[in-house]
Amino acid sequence: MIDPYYLQQLAIGLSLGMTYALMAIGFTLIFGVLNVVNFAHGEVYTLGAFAGLVLISATAPPIFAVIFIALAIGAMAGFSLERIAFKPFRRFTDEASLKSRAMRESTLLSSLAVSIVVREALEIVFGSQMRSVPFEYLINTPVRIGPVILVTGDFIIFGVAAVMLIGLQYLLTRTRIGLSIRAVSNNPLGAKYVGIDTDRTIIMTFVVGSMMGAAAGILTGLYYGAIFPAMGFVPGIKAFVAMVMGGLSSIPGAVICALILGISESMATTFVSSGWSDMVAYGFLILTLIFFPNGLFGARRERV
Amino acid sequence: MNVSDLSAPPRGRGLLIPLLLALLVFVGLPAMLAGFDRGYFYQIANLALIFILLSASMHLVTGVAGLLHLGHAAFYGVGAYTAALLSTKFGLGFTVTLPLSGVVAALIAFLVALPTMRLVSIYFAVATLAIGQMLYLVMLNWVEFTKGPNGIIVTKGLELFGFSLSGRLATYYTVATVVALCVLAIGRLSHSYYGNALRSIREDDQCADAMGVSTARLKMEAFTMSAFFAGVAGSLWAHMTGYISPGDFKFSESILILAMVVVGGLGSLPGAVIGALLLILLPEGLRAFGDFRNIMVGLVMFLSILLLPKGLLGEVSALQLARRQLGAAWRNTVKGEGIGWR
Amino acid sequence: MTALKTASLAALMTAALAGTALTTGTALAADTVKIGYQLPLTGETAQYGQDFRKAAEIALTEFNASGKPFKAEIVFEDSRSDAKEGTNIARKFVDDKEIVGVLGDFTSGVSMASAQVYKDAGMPQLSQTASHPDYTKISKYQFRNIATQAQEGPYNAKWMLSKGYKNIAVIAEQTDWGQSVVSGFSDGVKANGGTVVFSEFFNRGLKDYRSLISKLERAKPDAIYTGFFYEDGAQFLRQVQQLGIKTPVYSTSAAYSPKLIELAGEAAEGVHLTSNFLPTDPAPHIQHFVTEWKAASNGAVPGQFPAQAYDAVRIMLAAVEKAYPNPTREKVRDALAQTKDFAGVTGKTSFSADREAEKELVKVEVKGGAFVPVAD
Repeated sequence: MIDPYYLQQLAIGLSLGMTYALMAIGFTLIFGVLNVVNFAHGEVYTLGAFAGLVLISATAPPIFAVIFIALAIGAMAGFSLERIAFKPFRRFTDEASLKSRAMRESTLLSSLAVSIVVREALEIVFGSQMRSVPFEYLINTPVRIGPVILVTGDFIIFGVAAVMLIGLQYLLTRTRIGLSIRAVSNNPLGAKYVGIDTDRTIIMTFVVGSMMGAAAGILTGLYYGAIFPAMGFVPGIKAFVAMVMGGLSSIPGAVICALILGISESMATTFVSSGWSDMVAYGFLILTLIFFPNGLFGARRERV
Repeated sequence: MNVSDLSAPPRGRGLLIPLLLALLVFVGLPAMLAGFDRGYFYQIANLALIFILLSASMHLVTGVAGLLHLGHAAFYGVGAYTAALLSTKFGLGFTVTLPLSGVVAALIAFLVALPTMRLVSIYFAVATLAIGQMLYLVMLNWVEFTKGPNGIIVTKGLELFGFSLSGRLATYYTVATVVALCVLAIGRLSHSYYGNALRSIREDDQCADAMGVSTARLKMEAFTMSAFFAGVAGSLWAHMTGYISPGDFKFSESILILAMVVVGGLGSLPGAVIGALLLILLPEGLRAFGDFRNIMVGLVMFLSILLLPKGLLGEVSALQLARRQLGAAWRNTVKGEGIGWR
Repeated sequence: MTALKTASLAALMTAALAGTALTTGTALAADTVKIGYQLPLTGETAQYGQDFRKAAEIALTEFNASGKPFKAEIVFEDSRSDAKEGTNIARKFVDDKEIVGVLGDFTSGVSMASAQVYKDAGMPQLSQTASHPDYTKISKYQFRNIATQAQEGPYNAKWMLSKGYKNIAVIAEQTDWGQSVVSGFSDGVKANGGTVVFSEFFNRGLKDYRSLISKLERAKPDAIYTGFFYEDGAQFLRQVQQLGIKTPVYSTSAAYSPKLIELAGEAAEGVHLTSNFLPTDPAPHIQHFVTEWKAASNGAVPGQFPAQAYDAVRIMLAAVEKAYPNPTREKVRDALAQTKDFAGVTGKTSFSADREAEKELVKVEVKGGAFVPVAD
């Protein structure tokens, strides 16, 4: 018989990993299409949460309306983010610019700059403090399964993550837009030559990815009952790590690695002080990269 | 390299800009600072110098070798902690801790680099992120050794073989001398065949590998050297401020240094210097805007990237500048050795 | 293109430099005394700094309206809880010859780094929150208006032991303050015959405490003593409730904020903590502050930290008044050191010989969604 304590820690780790996975899905999708890190994904997450919170405090809407507004704001944020921080850098189409490392890194930093502006603006408008969510909207009623205690939010987050994952797989493999997303992420120039509207595809990817980010934000906000401007930072780093561990191109891989991160953190707490538990997660990452330099589920490296 | 049969390049023009810069840093600025006589300006000048060194050292890895480095601040921290621990536990002075800080930071960088240097592109970036975070966690949580969040009070100020240099002007000159020497060394490294080899890794590492460039070894060397200079900067900071705590070396500092390098222009040393100046001076200059100043910093950063995506002084402009100034040192073909600097 | 680049670059640099030069140096009328206040007004800890500024402005308006022979002015500078910026500000304050005393910073780290500057310059510094054990040992110019954990820890230890809890678990955030919480409390428990069965630190801003709570429960403590601020506290309490754990929770005055109850809801019920500020206290000066605060912040009730800041500002102003006319930094420092039985909203404050504030503590319990003072 396993000590129920470990079962409990496992369950906690899984639910923690789920909240990272929720964010990692959209993050990986966006990374795939442009091959640049979107530093502002954490801010999209925060925006989604604040959009939901504003609606909740203004009226008392049903939960679906809250999710809907978060999705809508996420879509808008994704669209504008692409227009502001990424589109301008595609104006250089000569070969030197396309190959230039400096150009690619500057796109990375442009999303960082946007994220700074958004976070500071949120801090000025809403203040830096944690905002509470009215209790009737919280999704953390305890649920007991045998020796393990979980909360309703764990199941909701699990369900949403599963729906996102399956929906995304369907979108990517069965629809036209998914096909063009995959084409652009494989070879943008080639996709252009065969007549795919790359610009539109990239926007679509940002919109879909950011909607997922915003949904993750509001769900996590309702789950922990606290919404604040810096809330996207830690999950953003964890999603980034999970994506790379998973091998960049694989969304299920990123989800699995997010779960691994969550479980290793909660299990580590058993053996080392809580302050050190991140050490185990990062150590795990380094080990993974040593033995799987292309991530756990990554394809072989291609020449670009 | 067969240098002996090269005719000596005509001197004069090639030294103009470095001379002017040296004049500015060692005569012009101190004169201005002494004229204003405000501790505030001295402080900002010293801080800017330290961040110039940090940004220049990151330039070596991220700019020249093209490896995205997300954990640079941790090596800065290792240097600062080495200096602080050596001076509080063994009573060593700045003269000794300065090189030792660099060496310890380089040593740790070397050790963590051993298993991770075969990684490429974003995998490398995330590995440096993990290394940086792990070092930060050690500083924060290993309370018995680093005093953890309590930080360390460094009682010994700047000195040279027991001769105190803690006066305002003396502090400035010490920091400026150390930084100038380090930046000079970084400049020599990046504008040389060695730098070109690093650039070849950045442009196409598989191709470089095929041409016989030992990419893993070069990466490791660049990473270690950059950690050395970051460590030196850490020692300067520890002795200058007199108090360090882990919060000074967290992830956001790494991002700040990265932003300096990118805003200034990836691959360009003058760019890295200008980027550091901008991102240190701007938040102070914008104090009049109160709570809005950080939004303004973000906006300036965004606009500079948007309008000048290759950086304020990008690599190409920097190379052109260098070529104009050091024109004679540039050889197109010398006995079939190809182009490059001697 | 190159010309454009050079021009824009030059413009940026000049703007940065000009701004730096502009913001220093403004002349003032003769009968105005200036005080500096460094605090985080932006960044992740801005909520605390914004509260301090609000409290300071209340204190300042009162002071200037009370017909004193001079007017006071406070220069607020944003440190972002960043040691770099903190030391910059410290130099700036020291340069301004009219500034005779400095308040702040919020975190100990920034306060300590700035203190190195104030030490050399002979500038009195009074922090409302810096809790680092070595802070006041830096020099004779460092003061603080906060009960140290060396005082609060044993006090709480005795309280918990008197309630019959012998085996106590301690957790605290991994900061210098958290370190002092654990050491102060553990010493108190051991001295009074109890046992600390579990002690651990967590990183500030941790969101999920459930792993830590499960681990802590394995040690089977009679009660849990916690060192956290209200935001972490609310998350912790809520997750304790989720896991169905009934072990009583005790905490320090740092968690004393109405926001704790707002964020944690009914999970905060039954939490015991100490405080030296009670907004429900009928004393007129306390009610005056509470009314002013409510007017300035949409009816919210002030917590422990704003009250400490309010008192710190008033203690500083009183010291300046004592040093008037012609206050100098040295005179203000001496006046601060002589502060005795200052009747503030956080109780009577006196500075001991080592410049620590001696505070009176009140025991409080959360009952029916409010902080209620209790006898034991």
